[in-house]
Amino acid sequence: MRIKSMMGMPTRIECIFFSEFHPTLGPKITYQVPEEYISRELFDTVQVYIITKPELQNKLITVTAMGKKLIGCPVCIEHKKYSRNALLFNLGLVCDARTNTCSLEPIVKKLSGYLTTLELHIGSIHMLVGSNSVLFFLNYESNTIHLKLIQLRKDPPIVQEYDVPVFTQCKDHFIKSQWDLTTQQILPYIDGFRHIQKISAEADVELNLVRIAVQNLLYYGVVTLVSIFQYSNVYCTTPKVQSLIDDKSIQEECLNYVTKQGQKRASLRDVFQLYCGLSPGTTVRDLCSRYSQQLQRVDERRLIQFGLMKCLIRRLQKYPVKVIRDERSRPPRLYTGCHSYDEICCKTGITYQELDERLENDPNIVVCWK
Amino acid sequence: IVCAFQVLLMGKSGSGKTSMRSIIFANYIARDTRRLGATIDVEHSHVRFLGNLVLNLWDCGGQDTFMENYFTSQRDNIFRNVEVLIYVFDVESRELEKDMHYYQSCLEAILQNSPDAKVFCLVHKMDLVQEDQRDLIFKEREEDLRRLSRPLACTCFRTSIWDETLYKAWSSIVYQLIPNVQQLETNLRNFAQIIEADEVLLFERATFLVISHYQCKEQRDAHRFEKISNIIKQFKLSCSKLAASFQSMEVRNSNFAAFIDVFTSNTYVMVIMSDPSIPSAATLINIRNARKHFEKLERVDGPKHSLHMRMR
Repeated sequence: MRIKSMMGMPTRIECIFFSEFHPTLGPKITYQVPEEYISRELFDTVQVYIITKPELQNKLITVTAMGKKLIGCPVCIEHKKYSRNALLFNLGLVCDARTNTCSLEPIVKKLSGYLTTLELHIGSIHMLVGSNSVLFFLNYESNTIHLKLIQLRKDPPIVQEYDVPVFTQCKDHFIKSQWDLTTQQILPYIDGFRHIQKISAEADVELNLVRIAVQNLLYYGVVTLVSIFQYSNVYCTTPKVQSLIDDKSIQEECLNYVTKQGQKRASLRDVFQLYCGLSPGTTVRDLCSRYSQQLQRVDERRLIQFGLMKCLIRRLQKYPVKVIRDERSRPPRLYTGCHSYDEICCKTGITYQELDERLENDPNIVVCWK
Repeated sequence: IVCAFQVLLMGKSGSGKTSMRSIIFANYIARDTRRLGATIDVEHSHVRFLGNLVLNLWDCGGQDTFMENYFTSQRDNIFRNVEVLIYVFDVESRELEKDMHYYQSCLEAILQNSPDAKVFCLVHKMDLVQEDQRDLIFKEREEDLRRLSRPLACTCFRTSIWDETLYKAWSSIVYQLIPNVQQLETNLRNFAQIIEADEVLLFERATFLVISHYQCKEQRDAHRFEKISNIIKQFKLSCSKLAASFQSMEVRNSNFAAFIDVFTSNTYVMVIMSDPSIPSAATLINIRNARKHFEKLERVDGPKHSLHMRMR
């Protein structure tokens, strides 16, 4: 039996085995690849969890012993045609005991279901051979089972309505039809500039669904999140900007990404100067007027986008805090220093300019940059 | 206070251990045992018997892998504190040497861990042997087993789930475990003599195994006890299939009258009267009056006698 895995595996399967209950010999390993991997001693220790009593049948069971983890699903098919009235088997995987085997569980379940279905439907083959058809299947060379191993990743951060999703690779690399309907509907609106709220409005998909879909894409590393682009935004460099000089591949990627359409490739010198021109107090607008020459061949929007995606720069957001207030008035909801201008604008619908005007003129409010 | 006995039920795979256990203790009829699956490793059952007796039955799967484990990694766990070993042989087995090898390994383990255990050998599936051959074959097997079991003593029975021989074997086994059996028999004798009965049988209520009896004269059929167990048990099961519960029965002809009735909370009684002049009503009243006495016996003597037995 050949098993192809379609995604890279950090979880290494060390052995695949097929175990069954023989009417006179009892529980045994009929096949294992590689051969002799599971020692007699190991099998004796764990056999009661491989070929199990009725209470544990048809359940995913993982047992750890002697430095190994065995994941299997003991199956029982009852029928009077079998000797002792039932067929008991278990197709399982073996890993090192330290391995995180969560991603293997659906595979084991799928395999056990697959073999069960085969046995139930090819029952006649069983009768011809005189032993069980599951064995017969495994000997059948032209059968290949395709499996997809689901990689375990960290939980993604919560996607906010003011976050902007941007594809980490060329959009065309992803086959649309593989994704769910919601994701397919919002894909055309993910351009690295539209934020979640805007995508929801323009694609006509409910906000929470957009958030979940993007979170899913984030989980698989298909997109990453940046902040909304505005010429009034302020950014500053991070220590990682040095990698533009040190790392040739990032250099290449950067210059290809930020060069204006139809222009000769931008020079590293210009691009690096532009990034270094970003500092607290300097808006993008300021940058554009100061470095107009360097920007001849550089698209400033893509410059910022790339810088954020690769963490070469970071955004400095404004957080209003209400410092002086009436004892009689309610505590501030949004002006707590925890909600950025981006968030407030999104939630209230006010434009950046309106908000800025309102707050700059309010003596009770102090704005923090962070 | 209750007496508990560890009873090991062992034998080759497919020899009939679970089937027997199901018929005697779980109200299966012989035909139903065809549906049973193989026993995986050991099945423990806790059988309450006669109110003050508990049988911890260990039905051990007989496949090679399991057997090997019993003699090695599970040896102490399986063979320690065993009071009764019941070893089942399939009379049709083609691997006599292998069967004997496993049997002797068991005896070895018993000798090391529970040397005082009682050993019973059941030569089972006798229905598959031609009727006129049965006695001969059983005798041969019995001789072999007695010889092979030395220095341990073993009691042999020939059994089949299709007739009363199953009940004979299990009755005899259980009889040896009943704590106050002498007392029971004395009282039963007194009762029988008072009411002028020919014969009185006492059955355990759930299993219908005969646990005590009295007869004042020789009877023709030495196997009548187990036959009656078998017949009444089947009848009782048939009744329950119709959602009726068996209470009592009276059978009479010109020669005798037989009464089967609930006796104490744990027993049934069967009284055979051959004196036609004694009316049914009188016998029934006598039975009713005796009940209270025997009920008291059961409650009082149980604890007292169990002090002589090992406690669990």
